[in-house]
Amino acid sequence: MKFDVIIIGGGLAGMTAATALQTSGMRCAVVAEGLSLHNASRREFCAAGGTLLAGDRVVSGRFAGDRLVAVRTEKLGDIELEAENFVLATGKYFSRGLVADMDRVYEPLFGLDVDYDEDRSTWFDPSFAAPQKFLEFGVKSPGGLAVKDGAVIANLYPAGEVLAGLSSAQGDATAAIVKSATDAANAIGRK
Amino acid sequence: MQETNISAKNFEQCQKCSLCETVCPVMANNPKYAGPKRSGPDGERYRLKNGIFFEDSLKYCLNCKRCEVACPSGVRIADLIQQARIDYGRKAPKLRDMMLASTDQVGPLASAFAPLANFGLGLSPVKGLMDITIGVDRHRTLPKYASETFVHWFKKNAAAAQEGYKKQISYFHGCYANYNYPQLGKDFVAVMNAFGIGVQLMPEERCCGVAKIANGMIATATRDARINMNAFGRSVKEGRDIVTVSTTCTLTILEEYPELLKVDNSLVRDHVSLVEQYLYKGIVSGVLKPVWKEGFKARAAYHCPCHQERLGWGIFTTELLKMIPGMELIELESNCCGIAGTYGFKKENYKVSQAIGKPLFDNIMAIAPDYVACECETCKWQIEMSTGISVKNPVSILAEALDLDKTAAANR
Repeated sequence: MKFDVIIIGGGLAGMTAATALQTSGMRCAVVAEGLSLHNASRREFCAAGGTLLAGDRVVSGRFAGDRLVAVRTEKLGDIELEAENFVLATGKYFSRGLVADMDRVYEPLFGLDVDYDEDRSTWFDPSFAAPQKFLEFGVKSPGGLAVKDGAVIANLYPAGEVLAGLSSAQGDATAAIVKSATDAANAIGRK
Repeated sequence: MQETNISAKNFEQCQKCSLCETVCPVMANNPKYAGPKRSGPDGERYRLKNGIFFEDSLKYCLNCKRCEVACPSGVRIADLIQQARIDYGRKAPKLRDMMLASTDQVGPLASAFAPLANFGLGLSPVKGLMDITIGVDRHRTLPKYASETFVHWFKKNAAAAQEGYKKQISYFHGCYANYNYPQLGKDFVAVMNAFGIGVQLMPEERCCGVAKIANGMIATATRDARINMNAFGRSVKEGRDIVTVSTTCTLTILEEYPELLKVDNSLVRDHVSLVEQYLYKGIVSGVLKPVWKEGFKARAAYHCPCHQERLGWGIFTTELLKMIPGMELIELESNCCGIAGTYGFKKENYKVSQAIGKPLFDNIMAIAPDYVACECETCKWQIEMSTGISVKNPVSILAEALDLDKTAAANR
């Protein structure tokens, strides 16, 4: 199945980017594991003709050179979802956009490069109310694009809390999340 | 963490986020129901301590599985509830529940006396009597029975011609196509044959068992599931994949057999597909070549049944229908229609059932399409009864939209 843009994740960032792109005339699909998306934005996206794969989950990606070409999902099996551009809006730890092991923090879907401190003792402050460093970890995005093994992926745009330095658990990050999603949508729109 | 989690149906993964409660259609309409979180993973903690914590209100769950679609943590909430009903439900099923659930026992009888049965079941004194005596709500339009079953028709009119096709599949027709609406089975055969595919039936086919599971008839359901899996196994061995039309039968076979009935389906599960998925894959890969009728025109609204939503395969149907030239397809906002198989037929559920479906009915009537496209047979009864707008299975729509002769020529 071919789309202009596939958005992985249906939270605030994912739906913001998806709705902006779909209403600008692009053909979009959102893969949303769990309906964390807001009813209003889902309605707007679907009313604009967007495709919503609810309760499904991206399991792997196919890369060619510096591009992500297609993804596969748990439920569609061997049917690939192809697109020109992809938005990664999978969030942080709770939604498994990031996974923390004892010795590393990683992005589980594509193995993207993550900004984190290798010294685990710096990850958290035992004082509950203190700022927590692990919440600042996230995928790298120089120029708004994802990085894998040191090389920039030319059509994969991380947005929202999966990004390094962005977390709604500390202070209100809503505006920053929406802005990151709008930036991704604009960058794709300008192409 | 996921890898080392060993709790049954992932229940320890529940984070108490309550997203499931926001999508539960019953919770919004029936205050007696505690909702998916409390009936499922929360209640499970208590039930594991002692079965006396089992609550009778779990019967209000209509098993639409929307909670599982919404869950961000992969908890099989509806399965937990169904499993608890199986393990701890103490009451023997009522006569009414057994009658509603035994689609394969009542079907042959009602088909044999179809004109009489349909006439009788349509009379208001009969409905009133059923309401009072066995608790089938009097407001409900009861399903019609066909006087000739699909299987009987197939043997007489279609079986012989099937050998002529190089590619063969097995068709799991289910009770609905067989007893209630054989035209669906006939449309299926016509479409498959046009694409150059021969259709075989599995003589051992039994009811998938979904209604029996819902009504506590687990022993019968398990026996039938084993018979079906043997039949599927033989079909796969002989090189025929199994194609189905009912989303609910398919979900039951793929998910409920191993999860609730403990009947293994691992050897056949990759060989079972819904017809829309089967045709979409074939057409996109270029193996199947459709030739569409000229001048076909329709404005249809697509309703994605709950169990299709859970399978995650609704996209195959919409992509397939969008291929039809002249088809204007409006995708309805996802909403349970409220019938949930035998659930809505029960007197105690009728009001809740209609309340659940109301937003969907209002939406359909506001759009006023030529017809509603939907894969599910019980959604069809519910939507037709509640809106007066007819509901067509995508297979029947394809049978109308395809130029069957030209398609047959292109796929020879």
